[in-house]
Amino acid sequence: METTQIPLEQLDPYRYQIPSSYKEGMRVPGRIYTSDRLLNDILKDKALEQVVNVAHLPGIVGQSMAMPDMHWGYGFPIGGVAATDPKQGGVISPGGVGFDINCGVRFIRTNFKQEEIQDRLNDLVATLFDFVPSGLGSKSGLRLNQNQVKQVLVKGSRWVVEEGFGTAHDLDATEDYGAIAGADPQAVSDRAYERGKCQVGTLGSGNHFLEVQVVDQIFDEDVARDLHLFKGQVAVMIHCGSRGLGYQVCDDYCHSIGHCLTKYHIEVPDRQLACAPVESLEGQEYLSAMRAAANFAFANRQYIMHQTRKSFEKVFRKNWETMGMQLIYDVAHNIAKIEKHKLANGRERPLCVHRKGATRAFPPGHPELAPRFQKIGQPVIIPGDMGRASYLLIGVESADETFYSCCHGAGRVMSRSKATKMFNVKDVLADLESRGVVIQAQSKATIVEEASGVYKDVTEVVDVVAQAGLSKKVCRMRPIGVVKG
Amino acid sequence: MKPYELIDHTADIGIKVRGKTLEKLFNNAAVAMFDIMAKPFPLPAKAVVKRFRITVKAQDRTELLIRWLNELLFLSETQKIIFSHLKFKKFSDTGLEAQAQGIARKHFAMQVEIKAVTYHELMIEEKNGFEAQVIFDV
Repeated sequence: METTQIPLEQLDPYRYQIPSSYKEGMRVPGRIYTSDRLLNDILKDKALEQVVNVAHLPGIVGQSMAMPDMHWGYGFPIGGVAATDPKQGGVISPGGVGFDINCGVRFIRTNFKQEEIQDRLNDLVATLFDFVPSGLGSKSGLRLNQNQVKQVLVKGSRWVVEEGFGTAHDLDATEDYGAIAGADPQAVSDRAYERGKCQVGTLGSGNHFLEVQVVDQIFDEDVARDLHLFKGQVAVMIHCGSRGLGYQVCDDYCHSIGHCLTKYHIEVPDRQLACAPVESLEGQEYLSAMRAAANFAFANRQYIMHQTRKSFEKVFRKNWETMGMQLIYDVAHNIAKIEKHKLANGRERPLCVHRKGATRAFPPGHPELAPRFQKIGQPVIIPGDMGRASYLLIGVESADETFYSCCHGAGRVMSRSKATKMFNVKDVLADLESRGVVIQAQSKATIVEEASGVYKDVTEVVDVVAQAGLSKKVCRMRPIGVVKG
Repeated sequence: MKPYELIDHTADIGIKVRGKTLEKLFNNAAVAMFDIMAKPFPLPAKAVVKRFRITVKAQDRTELLIRWLNELLFLSETQKIIFSHLKFKKFSDTGLEAQAQGIARKHFAMQVEIKAVTYHELMIEEKNGFEAQVIFDV
């Protein structure tokens, strides 16, 4: 399974290059952001081969990139970033976004210090587990008809806020204000509606979670102060995506776009990289369906945040505003976006940026950020594993080489079947208890498959992106309460 | 012997599945998928069986396999069932018609959510019957 035969040139301590001469058909080099240590894990699976495959995409600009949390995915590697130029025949690939369209993360602050909630932690986690449906096939308390789902697909988080479950402030603190423009509900199949109608406000399963965390280290006092974050503070992180609706949109378009390869004379090394020119009818149709699914995911996380606020209100008998439960930010990490970027020749062009397990990280002053982030840049949320830590970073100007993209998490190093052989549920639970983490999960299998040891150390991953100048560290959070599917 | 084995994949789940005929291969791939997703509790005598007629069309046999499995996933999620018996009425490289029987998910301990069946490294090979490798997104 190893891919060590792929040539890797080290450019500096955190950058490696796969020359475009390595394989016929590569249009650009591969670029890996990693450290010596993390590279050992990367060489164990087929992720590098996937970086090479992505370099074949028509119209790709710069490099086929991968972040330090990279690992073997399907089509793109997880941690993959690729931008294509629509004016140069650039393509869009549903496999460069994935089935869980706009899987992403949301981070919410509170006014509490850990000691103020510690004696209610069990009750809080139980209430969150009760208020936020999780697990395979979980159904929401919010049942929507087809017309309401259509509105969600266009308005995203705004629909949820208009229904009374949030504020305008929440929208300012969400990527694309919680609704990507250009979504077309007509481009979404009836089957996708069927799968999505009971799923706004559900967490799902696998690596998705809701965590109560404590800020335990501050790296950038100024930015932390600006975001009203402080050491010892309780916060909440939510990780989930577009659920069955997104899976169905991806599945539908993998087939229709798969049939485009002959039509547009495109050759790709992996059928899961099927793609169509961004400017083609098929490309535009996928983009508008994908945006609709992305908006569904923003709405999903907005409603889960509402249920989180309600859970805190029930346990602490105060309203959420008094508890200071403001949204810090919400990011998408499985998405393709049309964004303006400067090319090597200095010209600015609209590019189609695929981020498959990678996070947008816009710098201070970026026109797409809300006024309150103009001075500090975009918050970037990096969830780690349920036993160790997660991070909040901030976008910086020097990330222009990655089209302002950064890592998205810790990254798995171990398959689920190996995890089941190496860990048992009793030991994983005992380990979490020794770290002071309270957990509620629907499935014992999930607890084992999500054990800390199956992930890279998020601290090492975050250090690479910080050292490589792709973002700046703001603070670290450690989990104290975990809700999983 | 199980008609399939798990392949080590870092984040997702892969299987290598066999069948004496292409039909058997398609059947075994579906059995493998639901075996990964759910483990049955002892079935009560009155467990209701739901029946479906499934028609799938495709351009070639690999696409047919993916569409077949994704169709079963769609029905499993929206009808809240796990499929137990599958029988083909018609079968070719570009289309199939099947009768499928499913039992409510509440009679199963759900293990893993399979989001979709991917085209990544999908291969159907003829050797002593048929063999396929399939990667599921989980």
